[in-house]
Amino acid sequence: MLSRTAENLFWSARYIERADSLARLLEVGYRISLIPNTERGYTNEWESILETSGIKNEYLKKYKTISKEKIIFFILFDPENSSSVKNCIKTARENIRMVRTAVTLEVWNAVNSSYHELDKNLKDTKNILKEMPEIIEWIKKQVNLIRGTILNTQLINDGYDFLILGTYFERADFTARIINVKYFILLPSINYVGGDIDNFQWSLMLRSISSFRAFKWAYGGQEITYTKIIDFLILNMTCPRSLIFSIEKINHHLGRLSKFYKQTSTSNKKMALMYKKIKNLNANKITEIGLHEFLKSFIEEINFVYKKFEQKYFFGSET
Amino acid sequence: MYNEVYKNSKVRKFYNQIYDWAKSLPENVIVKKKNEAENLFKKIGITFSVYNNFDSTERLIPFDMFPRIISSTEWKKIKRGVTQRALAVNAFLNDIYNSGEIVKAKLIPENLIYKNPAYEIKMIGFKVPKRIYSPIIGSDIVRINEKIFKVLEDNCRTPSGVSYMIENREIMMRMFPELFEKLKIETVENYPNYLLDTLKSLAPKKCNKEPKVVILTPGSLNSAYYEHSFLADLMGVELVQGNDLFVDESITYMKTTRGPEKVDIIYRRIDDKFIDPITFDSSSLIGIPGLFDSYKSGNVNICSAPGSGIADDKAIYSYIPEIIKFYLGEEPILENVKTWRCCEEDAKKYVLNNLNKLVVKEVHGSGGYGLLIGSKSSKKEIEIFRKKILSNPSNYIAQPILELSSVPIFDKKKLSPRHVDLRPFCLVGANKTKLVDGGLTRVALNQGSLVVNSSQGGGVKDTWILNE
Repeated sequence: MLSRTAENLFWSARYIERADSLARLLEVGYRISLIPNTERGYTNEWESILETSGIKNEYLKKYKTISKEKIIFFILFDPENSSSVKNCIKTARENIRMVRTAVTLEVWNAVNSSYHELDKNLKDTKNILKEMPEIIEWIKKQVNLIRGTILNTQLINDGYDFLILGTYFERADFTARIINVKYFILLPSINYVGGDIDNFQWSLMLRSISSFRAFKWAYGGQEITYTKIIDFLILNMTCPRSLIFSIEKINHHLGRLSKFYKQTSTSNKKMALMYKKIKNLNANKITEIGLHEFLKSFIEEINFVYKKFEQKYFFGSET
Repeated sequence: MYNEVYKNSKVRKFYNQIYDWAKSLPENVIVKKKNEAENLFKKIGITFSVYNNFDSTERLIPFDMFPRIISSTEWKKIKRGVTQRALAVNAFLNDIYNSGEIVKAKLIPENLIYKNPAYEIKMIGFKVPKRIYSPIIGSDIVRINEKIFKVLEDNCRTPSGVSYMIENREIMMRMFPELFEKLKIETVENYPNYLLDTLKSLAPKKCNKEPKVVILTPGSLNSAYYEHSFLADLMGVELVQGNDLFVDESITYMKTTRGPEKVDIIYRRIDDKFIDPITFDSSSLIGIPGLFDSYKSGNVNICSAPGSGIADDKAIYSYIPEIIKFYLGEEPILENVKTWRCCEEDAKKYVLNNLNKLVVKEVHGSGGYGLLIGSKSSKKEIEIFRKKILSNPSNYIAQPILELSSVPIFDKKKLSPRHVDLRPFCLVGANKTKLVDGGLTRVALNQGSLVVNSSQGGGVKDTWILNE
């Protein structure tokens, strides 16, 4: 396969995953705006949504003040926001369009029609706040459709591996960033009394990665504690949004590529190490290291793996 | 004007069935089917980009459902005529880059060739693989009357539109399968196989295994990008951009996830000057440094060959009948359109005195740009062209305004005639030529308009060669 084809496949899947994450993040914001008496907290929450999606500076450059309508528009549709949902889907489509021959017609149709319909949605939207839930539902549905089509129609060959790798590199990065932005609420602080505020904050965090109910199932409806949340978001193999889940997937698909091409690379070895390390961790150890420190080095390591992976397969220049 | 459907007020034999069918379609069905076709085009992503006005958005090419029909007898002649021209053009290119016999015989003025900007000095004396310079030729043909088809130009560089020929058929078959059961319509779906065979037959000197073919595209913003990816897909070859390729020690490779892989034949859809920034335009970002050297050392073939463009120069076009006679010793099967070359004093005089009755074209223009249709232009526009011709006569030719034949389109639920042309695609391989039985019919959608280019309000139709 052409290196560029692999790169386009990877990035299209990555952008689709990002569109999905953004939609889920907005859902949380919407939820907050429905809860009374959180006026101050609500501004903070919207701000941290901007922070999590890494676009706070761009937003403030354009709009100066925090306003939910503007934030929603900025994240969903704003053409000037390079990682708005609209631009994510547009870029995903551009990438797929460049490698039309590497995906099935059904995958192309799913991506292409998502793009056209989103454009239509944008034109038809009158009251963005009111219509947001529907738009978000629609985005999630489209992403599921695209992903389902990939799963059901693509050949399970190297191209498939690049698609899946795009998804999980993005997800690992996004989950790590969500936890990092919010890591302070997961600290066992001396003021901690297990009050409503903490519970509320934690549940929001779980919701933002669509794992609120999953958490309840996984931990048998027990009381939410910060160690359980750390365990769930970072170390639980059954949670599809946990860091370890993404790491396992990346490790698996890098391994498949290595076998397929009968070549090994630094990214393989490094990833295998990362996976081994995270498997042997537990929530208490992470608290010992310090959650923030742990996440920092996690993000650094995964970026390193990505750089090596990119050099090997996209640039053909791994030394 | 020749109406392809009616003869006096009667419908011609070949159009009988299709005409009845079109007439029988209720209005609401026409509207519904039109939408359906548009959605299919959109869904498949058959779009082209238009670059002017800074807005490089994708557009759908307007598709009309009323098919254009050519009888198999008429087609046989077109096929023979187009093949004859394709062979003559290749012989001509081979000659002018080598011994130049046609110039020695004084059939074409020396200057017109050797001083032509499209003449590529770097190709002189180079032995092109299998002597084929231009393996894909798309000739634009217009119908004048019952008997006569004329050739308007022969596109020998990288003619586009073949994907529409195939997709138009796909869409018609999906929407109106009943027509295809009833009528004997020649298939066009073999084109990609023929193209691949043709390209493979043109392996370079130093290729001693199954040749690796790729299509080279300028990228997804190019107006014909859909076609590039479509052909790559149907031929099962890689669609590459300049930065996917590199040259090392005169060998051309593509970058793959497995490492470098040698490339033998490049079907390029980029212009000569962008091919290699070392040899040609040094500002080219889409070219491959060293590619021309790799080509000349026999490690890779570039199709069409650099410098082929001189054969679709509009002044050279006017010599095609002589070219056919000189190289093939045959009479031309298809006629040329009468052409005045403004570089000749008498012709120039005539053209300047008759601007309102002529079409004036730049010799290197294409896509319907840079031309004057005298009868449809204001005095001011005519005067602008007069000055242009006077200041650089050899840059212009003129032709009579042709009454292109017409075929109906579904115009807001009703049938209404529009002008059409026809572009068949002739493939020239090492030992054989191939043509699928069909072509692209372009239609000027504006009433009375003679410009069929998609960049200027043209649409397309499915073209049927009907067996008798």
